Amino acid sequence: MEVTMEDVAGDFEFSGCGSTTTSSASSLDDGTGMYYAWGELSPVADCDWANFCCSDDGGHDLHGLIESMLCDDTLVGVPGDGHAGLHHADMFRDELYCYSNGSNPSSTTTTNPGSPVFDDTPQDCPEKGLRLLHLLMAAAEALSGPHKSRELARVILVRLKEMVSHTAGANNAAASNMERLAAHFTDALQGLLDGSHPVGGSGRQAAAAASHHHTGDVLTAFQMLQDMSPYMKFGHFTANQAILEAVSGDRRVHIVDYDIAEGIQWASLMQAMTSRPDGVPAPHLRITAVSRSGGGGARAVQEAGRRLSAFAASIGQPFSFGQCRLDSDERFRPATVRMVKGETLIANCVLHQAAATTTIRRPTGSVASFLSGMAALGANVVTVVEEEGEAEKDDNGDSAGDAAAAAGGFVRRFMEELHRYSAVWDSLEAGFPTQSRVRGLVERVILAPNIAGAVSRAYRGVDGEGRCGWGEWMRGSGFTTVPLSCFNHSQARLLLGLFNDGYTVEETGPNKIVLGWKARRLMSASVWAPPPLPVPSSPPEGVCQPDVGMAPVATGGFARTEFDYIDSFLVEPAYALV
Amino acid sequence: MNYHEQEHHRLAAAASSNGLDWFEESMSSFLAADVDLAAAGGGGAGGYAWWAASPAAQQDDIGSVVAQTLSPPSAPLAAASPSIASPAASSPSDVPSSSSKKRKSPAHRASGNSGGKKGGGGKGGGAAGSDRDMRWAEQLLNPCAVAVEAGNLSRVQHLFYVLGELESFSGDANHRLAAHGLRALARRLPAAVGPAAAAAVRVPPCECPTPAFAAAEPRLFRASLIRFHEVSPWFALPNALANAAIAQASTCGAAAAATPRPLHVVDLGVSHGVQWPTLLESLTRQPGGRAPPSVRLTVAGPGDTTPAPFSASPPGYDFSPHLLRYAKSINLDLRIGCAATLDDAVQGYCTAGDGEALVVCLQFRLGHAAVDERRDILRKVRGLNPELVVLSELDSCVGEGSAAGEFAARLELLWRFLESTSAAFKGKDVDERRLLETEAGAILATDVAGEGREGWRERMAAAGFEDASFGAEAVESAKSLLRKYDSGWEMSLAATGAVALRWKGQPVSFCSLWRPAA
Repeated sequence: MEVTMEDVAGDFEFSGCGSTTTSSASSLDDGTGMYYAWGELSPVADCDWANFCCSDDGGHDLHGLIESMLCDDTLVGVPGDGHAGLHHADMFRDELYCYSNGSNPSSTTTTNPGSPVFDDTPQDCPEKGLRLLHLLMAAAEALSGPHKSRELARVILVRLKEMVSHTAGANNAAASNMERLAAHFTDALQGLLDGSHPVGGSGRQAAAAASHHHTGDVLTAFQMLQDMSPYMKFGHFTANQAILEAVSGDRRVHIVDYDIAEGIQWASLMQAMTSRPDGVPAPHLRITAVSRSGGGGARAVQEAGRRLSAFAASIGQPFSFGQCRLDSDERFRPATVRMVKGETLIANCVLHQAAATTTIRRPTGSVASFLSGMAALGANVVTVVEEEGEAEKDDNGDSAGDAAAAAGGFVRRFMEELHRYSAVWDSLEAGFPTQSRVRGLVERVILAPNIAGAVSRAYRGVDGEGRCGWGEWMRGSGFTTVPLSCFNHSQARLLLGLFNDGYTVEETGPNKIVLGWKARRLMSASVWAPPPLPVPSSPPEGVCQPDVGMAPVATGGFARTEFDYIDSFLVEPAYALV
Repeated sequence: MNYHEQEHHRLAAAASSNGLDWFEESMSSFLAADVDLAAAGGGGAGGYAWWAASPAAQQDDIGSVVAQTLSPPSAPLAAASPSIASPAASSPSDVPSSSSKKRKSPAHRASGNSGGKKGGGGKGGGAAGSDRDMRWAEQLLNPCAVAVEAGNLSRVQHLFYVLGELESFSGDANHRLAAHGLRALARRLPAAVGPAAAAAVRVPPCECPTPAFAAAEPRLFRASLIRFHEVSPWFALPNALANAAIAQASTCGAAAAATPRPLHVVDLGVSHGVQWPTLLESLTRQPGGRAPPSVRLTVAGPGDTTPAPFSASPPGYDFSPHLLRYAKSINLDLRIGCAATLDDAVQGYCTAGDGEALVVCLQFRLGHAAVDERRDILRKVRGLNPELVVLSELDSCVGEGSAAGEFAARLELLWRFLESTSAAFKGKDVDERRLLETEAGAILATDVAGEGREGWRERMAAAGFEDASFGAEAVESAKSLLRKYDSGWEMSLAATGAVALRWKGQPVSFCSLWRPAA
């Protein structure tokens, strides 16, 4: 299928954007004012935000929504101090009373061993959290192991749903953090139980879950997650900085992106390319997005391409866009990538990141085929952003790790995911304690599908990725590490400095940094160089779809809102140009 | 703020060898682990300082709660207390099962790939297998019993939490089994792991709201018994078989005798009088008007410390006047005597009147006595030289010998009781059903080993008895009686002459006849 600029101009409906954001407005009716608050909080983007907040007429996009909400300032109390921790009493008003008896439930036991209390009263939130956790763990156990019992799992899930039922109706501020987390994991387990085939089942479920949400909600949620946490920017910034360093001085850059999602990453790269302080003109940037065959994947990729083309045009970045498809078995074939001589080739591989449009996860073999395929094409640099497991922590002969490993495959992996997402939950709550409605939207729209995917992967026993990451595989396949620059490191620390104190960045290798929440590692970004090509092969040409035409001048049918959308995601990173 | 104090307290707990509070311990070890990591990671200046310095965040840190639940069971146990089972001792129950899980997972995955439905179909193939799959309560209770016996407290705690969420004395049979099972395990725990360790385990409330059998209001007690006989053959069928055999014995015992003999029945059972009206009535209908000239009934009370399930009755309950009045109305000379215990009943009536046809009914009582006591009572019964002995007992499968295996066998039996009472009361949660089920739940608490039919046979033979058979008529009438009840019930005649009662193909009880061996 050909994608051309004409198609793009013809197809793209901006009204869609407007209408869906309106719908998201209604769904967030009294989560008012927070957009503005985030605008203020948004780390480095103040100028972008300010521009658009003032210049927009408010009819078509998020900013209009913001303005319409400005009248209610009850929730705008946070700007000014971006750091949680100053107004504990206020910020934790939702949940403080629940936890005031101590998050350590054993305190009950200590003081009162004879009469434990099992109540559904809100005062017993930590207790309820424990009960939920035990039920979740039991449900996972029931779905696995030698005594697999679907009936037991079903009964436990019924009970879990009763316990979190009041959280099901959208954003209920009364629901504790733990309850919301439990609700999503309950749904994920239910997906496993319902699906006759674990993979297809959860895939369908995730797809169904994703389709429930309006595009507008998805974009809104993305925006929120961007502003609430460093989760997305961490990977994007680190990869982009490494790419900028790798292509410094090159005239033409070609990036093959394994999972482009909304394309946000590249908007910020373009901004960096066009705004070089030394006045060097931006190189030509070509992006080839890898899409799944069939399904809505190609369409989403196409839309991302349109947005990026339009954005590139608006800032004068020479740009072209194409896509190539995976085989029906999700394998990447190098021949599908259109190669042009003289381009510096880069592979970008962002895995398992919060990306609403890519809720269906690709099998392990697919990633491997991409990495080795890009090596075969002669990529200069491969950037990898992936979830980080806890495996490496256990390397130093920790007996706890052994015990956990012995605790049974799926249950262990399931609890690992539960642990991971509980850290994410905590981090979001710590950053935005009073805005539980907003968090609820992010959780439902972005994190819930991710949880479904993670649980499904855990169930299928896809362990290697989560535990060891791709690093081991890449080293084994001859990839070498590309050390992160000093600037890249400090950029990451700078980024985290803009958020809550609990975030950590850790250097686990010369080419890798890990983002964590408190002691919990969450995701990593690493940079690699593929093994040298054995035989310089001339890449096949013209196999793939032609690029989207580059139209630097004629932006024709593109309304301003198009760029607003992209800009809203842009936080100008302080990329250094080496 | 006392958050800091709490923090100190926890860390102190980690350092001290306070073994009683495993929960505290596991939390602390997690925290301690965290400290190490933060220090080792060296990620930020004072990796631990910020952690400890943000009490508010820590307060609702669900991550730590999750981590705490995650913490491996053996770690806190190891540190907790040497007096309870060491990790090495507890791991055999735990580790092999989890490692077999791991081993099996590829196979499971393979079957999943070949089509999950196929796996389900395979299970559905065996009706018993799928039935077992539906019995989820046992899938929690049995591992919990194993953990209790092994002293694996974190596993016990986990399963107590889960059972606590799923138990209900009024739900379906699985929920009710979970409730009774949890209650029994909670009571068992202190004896298994020691009171101090048991106190650290938090037990969800699992007390049955229904009063105990013997504490019930007498009218409800009586109504429940009668209702239960109407809707379930659990007791009704053995009673009917016993009555048929007794009636026959009263006439045929001395076949040559031209005149009917007085009948003396020693009741060591649980019927609380409900069994006897039908016997009395059937005696008056003996062919040729050969009703016994007099009937003596000696009833043994529940006895001493731990009465067998269903053997105790509320203080105000007395069936004698009713029964006497009824006997009078059908012109039968009835006398009723009471003995305090099983033992008294046997001893007090050693002086069986001459020419009296003596029948001893041992129904659902002896199985709950200790093994020595069983032997003793049977020896005394033999000493009475009765015409006939009726023995009805639960046909519980013999467990694996371990306490947990024994518990599993009793759970199965209780499951049959609960499932059959669900059917009997048509799923209605009524007081009568609750009263009976609460009492049946006591099956789980008894700590004497159950015995199967074969075991009882050997025991009877050792006491000097030999098999006797039910008359064809008795069996036929029992069969027709059984048709009144749920179609899940069935009975079968064993080669030895005993009648076995089954629920959905699984043994429940047997009723057998014995005569003193020559």
